[in-house]
Amino acid sequence: YSSLVIQPHCFMAVFLHLAFSNKHILLHSHSYPEPGVCACVYKRNHLSSCQLSPSGHHSLCIQSMDGMLMFFEQDSYSFGRFLPGFLLPGPLVYNSRTDSFLTVSSVRQLESYKYETLAVATEAENRQDPDLPLKTGGKRLTPDWTFVLGEQALDLSVPSFSHSSSAVFVLGERNLYCLRDNGQLRFMKKLEFNPSCFFPYASVMNGTTNLLLANHTNMLLIYQDVTLKWAAQLSFVPVAMRVANFPDLKGVVVSLSSDGHLLCSYMGTDPSFFSTPKVDAREADYEQVDAEMKKLQKIIREATRTQETTLMSKYLCSLSSGVGSSTVVAFSAFLNGRYPPADLTGDISVSYNSPTGVPRVLQSRFSLPLALVCVPSFPAKTTKFKITVDTNQPPVDIKSIFPEFSAKSEDKDGNSLAFQFLSGAKVTVLASKTSQRYRIQSDSFEDMWLVVKELVQRFNQHFSKLGVKDFKKSFSGPLPLQEYFLSVDHHFQLRVSAQQYQDLLSERAVQFRAIQRRLLTRFKDKTPAPLQNLDTLLDATYSQVMTLAEAAEETRAQLEEAFVRLRSATHLLVLLLSLWQSLTPDQTAILEATLLPLLQDTPQLGWEESCDAAVSHLLRTCLSRSPKDQATTLAQAGGLVLGLPRDTVRLKKHITLLCDRIAKGGRLTLASEANVQIPAQVQSLAAPGESGRRKRGRDTVGIRIIKSESSSLSDISSITVCLLSFTRSFFNLFLILLPSPSFLFQT
Amino acid sequence: MEVTMDPLFLAWSYFRRRKLQQCSDICTKILQDNPYDQAAWSLKTRALTEMVYIDEVEVDQEGIAEMMLDESSIAQVARPGTSLRLPGTSQGGGPTPAVRPMTQSGRPITGFVRPSTQSGRPGTMEQAIKTPRTASTARPVTSASGRFIRLGTASMLTNPEGPFINLSRLNLAKYSQKPNLSRTLFEYIFHHENDVKNVSVANLKHQKNLLALYCCFNKKLLFHHQALDLAAQATEHAQFKDWWWKVQLGKCYYRLGLYREAEKQFRSALNHQEMVDTYLYLAKVYQRLDQPITALNLFKQGLDHFPGEVTLLTGIARIHEEMNNIPSATEYYKDVLKQDNTHVEAIACIGSNHFYTDQPEIALRFYRRLLQMGVYNCQLYNNLGLCCFYAQQYDMTLSSFERAMTLVANDEEQADVWYNIGHVAVGIGDLTLAYQCFKLALAFNNDHAEAYNNLAVLELRKGRIEQSKAFLQTAASLAPHMYEPHFNLSILSEKVGDLQSSYTAAQKSEDAFPEHVDTQQVLKQLRQHFAVL
Repeated sequence: YSSLVIQPHCFMAVFLHLAFSNKHILLHSHSYPEPGVCACVYKRNHLSSCQLSPSGHHSLCIQSMDGMLMFFEQDSYSFGRFLPGFLLPGPLVYNSRTDSFLTVSSVRQLESYKYETLAVATEAENRQDPDLPLKTGGKRLTPDWTFVLGEQALDLSVPSFSHSSSAVFVLGERNLYCLRDNGQLRFMKKLEFNPSCFFPYASVMNGTTNLLLANHTNMLLIYQDVTLKWAAQLSFVPVAMRVANFPDLKGVVVSLSSDGHLLCSYMGTDPSFFSTPKVDAREADYEQVDAEMKKLQKIIREATRTQETTLMSKYLCSLSSGVGSSTVVAFSAFLNGRYPPADLTGDISVSYNSPTGVPRVLQSRFSLPLALVCVPSFPAKTTKFKITVDTNQPPVDIKSIFPEFSAKSEDKDGNSLAFQFLSGAKVTVLASKTSQRYRIQSDSFEDMWLVVKELVQRFNQHFSKLGVKDFKKSFSGPLPLQEYFLSVDHHFQLRVSAQQYQDLLSERAVQFRAIQRRLLTRFKDKTPAPLQNLDTLLDATYSQVMTLAEAAEETRAQLEEAFVRLRSATHLLVLLLSLWQSLTPDQTAILEATLLPLLQDTPQLGWEESCDAAVSHLLRTCLSRSPKDQATTLAQAGGLVLGLPRDTVRLKKHITLLCDRIAKGGRLTLASEANVQIPAQVQSLAAPGESGRRKRGRDTVGIRIIKSESSSLSDISSITVCLLSFTRSFFNLFLILLPSPSFLFQT
Repeated sequence: MEVTMDPLFLAWSYFRRRKLQQCSDICTKILQDNPYDQAAWSLKTRALTEMVYIDEVEVDQEGIAEMMLDESSIAQVARPGTSLRLPGTSQGGGPTPAVRPMTQSGRPITGFVRPSTQSGRPGTMEQAIKTPRTASTARPVTSASGRFIRLGTASMLTNPEGPFINLSRLNLAKYSQKPNLSRTLFEYIFHHENDVKNVSVANLKHQKNLLALYCCFNKKLLFHHQALDLAAQATEHAQFKDWWWKVQLGKCYYRLGLYREAEKQFRSALNHQEMVDTYLYLAKVYQRLDQPITALNLFKQGLDHFPGEVTLLTGIARIHEEMNNIPSATEYYKDVLKQDNTHVEAIACIGSNHFYTDQPEIALRFYRRLLQMGVYNCQLYNNLGLCCFYAQQYDMTLSSFERAMTLVANDEEQADVWYNIGHVAVGIGDLTLAYQCFKLALAFNNDHAEAYNNLAVLELRKGRIEQSKAFLQTAASLAPHMYEPHFNLSILSEKVGDLQSSYTAAQKSEDAFPEHVDTQQVLKQLRQHFAVL
């Protein structure tokens, strides 16, 4: 270890090479003719820092690693003192103006000890444990004054170039302080870097002090009090710095690196510009570049062209074609609750990259077998709800249509079949022996949907297999609207009660917070007031909140179930409507999109209002009585906010009206809408969970509008103006806060 | 003779040279031999703290919960010029968004990224959930403590044997009696463990109840179940006369979101001893409480005591900038440069201000100065390139962008550089190049709303209306605070005859930029149309 000591008078650097061993210490003692300096090392302890003492005498104070100050007068040990509360050595300095020693202790405060106080304090040798109370005589060592820095100091300095100014400089880890001799703060400066060492060297202007300061980003900074005057870059982080005057070398900055290199330097005026590393500057061969550019542009052009063509042929390719290999994906399906699902279909989407790198997505649908959710059972004779489906073909054996269910059925009679859902509901299918009718009956309206759907699908398959082309199914009506409305009402009731729970919950939460606030103010008060049973009230409210939350949770689960049932019922209704009026698939799709706009209920947007909006839109447009009616009603349509309706009367009326109009020959089509704007109200329906099919339908409408008038578009100059006004956008510097290294500058 | 050095001395020397890992290693060895060595323990604690130390003044992340559930606001609608939340209300003659782009929170884009410029103060929940493009994270800052907890666990990862100090076993009351250990321990807990709860807590006994209560109901603190009060006990030990402990208490209160209590502590600390840091912390509290005028006064008061203090001047400049008072902000940044002419933030802000006030040549000088100082990154070269282009020094433009491109650190930066090259291409009329540049910008960052907007305009020139409309809608949904996509969409919709959409888009454009003359004209036209209907 080498420590740098600068003599105040001759400015010569002295290295003390101190070698330590456990018990023994090598001793290098130097004395110099100049006044005020000598150095020596004391046995047993390790030296950490040393500094010189009262003028006139050649004395030395050494601080050891265990916090002992050793005082030497004229090369002879005079006394030693332990610093109170010592842990790690801090800087130590002697202030000749007040004849006191300054140090920054482990308490992170600047402490000043008078020399007299030190001299009369308890002898160090008497105290083995600094924490124990004093046993022998002598005074307890107390500082003259202290100043809380709140951080460890790196260095202390008491410059003495003018006796009038009394200043003590402290270089902390994060701040630079200047104090008066009596411990009052003169000024301070917050440092935005990690300093390593400093040295106040002169007072150029009256009342100010210039100081050198080095930091861990290799910078040498010169401050006049708090103003930065000069900055220079060093090639290392100095551990000590001084200004030295040699006989033929005046005012040179001496800095010492941590590996022992001493650098004597001057402040230059030549800025050492930061030279940026070269970007791989290769000679541009213009012909080659041109060729490359052409090649690249050709690729780009081709890529854009193929993109357009394949976009159009997107729906032509199927899942199996074009791929050489096939992959089997095994998956499991689970029932989400104790009720049959509304849908047994699943979606498959495959995303892949085409050879040109264009990402693609393909979608397909599949349906799960009915046997997953129900088991064969005994036919029930008397039920609440019945649906009769007519066909124009001779009756078929139901069991041959549902082979997987007939196997276990014990009924020899071939014209009835019963399904029992896992939730317990039973559905019976009866085939008439004479007529071409089939009857589906059950105790619950919604549960019939899956069976009816399956039945219709299997009929289709069966007869297409037989080669019958003009197979027709029909439903003679009347539509089971009353049964349908039952499940609508049930769903609505649950929604209302969920809303009520929500309101109650927020009310209780407000109450809870109010009590909490009162309690908080009570607890925060310096003189605590009695609680006045507020804690009991808090407990009670808390339990209320919990109960309400549980109830709300339960309602939510019920609501989910109700919504699934409602969806089943709606599907059934749509199916019956299409059978009844033999609607085309397109029309059925529109109807389905209208009646089932959401896949999920949310508190903000529920089925009732969105369905009502969609139905009334249909009623106003393609199902309205006169075309003139359409325009006027649509104009007022905007601005309607969808929310939970008061009751379901309006919705029921609209649905009934919709069925009526369809029955009277109204055609569901989007074509008549083409010249009408989409009302904002319907667009706002594009809420989360919108079904894909519906969305596609809307898109085509929008595009048709644009195409019909796009020929009139020729003037786009006003838009380009906007582009030019928008040229300067990204202009943000992401820079770190610490100043970066290197540079010289003019002040 | 074998010469060995005292290991503690060596560790101490390493610490002074900021070789913190070596220092910590040696201390670990000493502590293995003698677990009760307080000096080594204290040194290791300091070294570990120093490794992760961030100045608390600069740490300012406002979580989404704090932003939306603000309990400390005084008035629902602040008077103009007194709030940071209504940036448009200043009378300082700030630049219009037509000249200087806005951030999501409605402030002109600044020259220097600092924590508060990233989050801003959104007005609605929806806005809060959408992160600005500059914050390079997909999610908004959910909660300040969330980040601190993450930091805490990250720092523990570096210690395979687990945390150095097991806080749950620590008898804080004992440590608070030892002034030579308590400060070190506090900083360790605060910075290294990021466990605010442990270090702070209320002054008096019954306030422990408050904290327990707070613990129960505040999910944020649910995990800290032991209530320690090192800071409080230490203050007590110092007979409430130590300014430093009061500042630390205030810092803890601030992190816990108890701003009024923090203010009290900082005020009390200032009464004991004027300190720069205390002023900065107190001003931070006022900024969080949305009282910029008080913060400004406080800074000025601080400047009376510490004339020429750079951090205080910078604080004033930042507040002015946040309140859209760009001229005053620039004045104060110039004052900063008078004190410290290597201040990067001041140079960058003044430079960007000159750029946006149509003085690219002067901006160029400022950025060249940064380059001279050794700032060497993508942003600087990008800005230099733009300045060169607008100052008509075309020879330097492309090489600057080239350098910026070699220095990019992430995809967002790359996207931004391509976007700016696209502008240069528009400027020289090479629309094919511009188109490809904007496409590249989107390839690197597909949330780049500006690129979408400009691409839409280029698409429209090619006559692809549907494509253009789709791009504009994307841009508008990505960046609702920009008026350009709304305005463009309005014009486009009007041309194709969709007056209703045109009207709504124009209204949105008006919301984003009320003084825009063209928007006003479009709206006027549309209203006339509707009146005729």
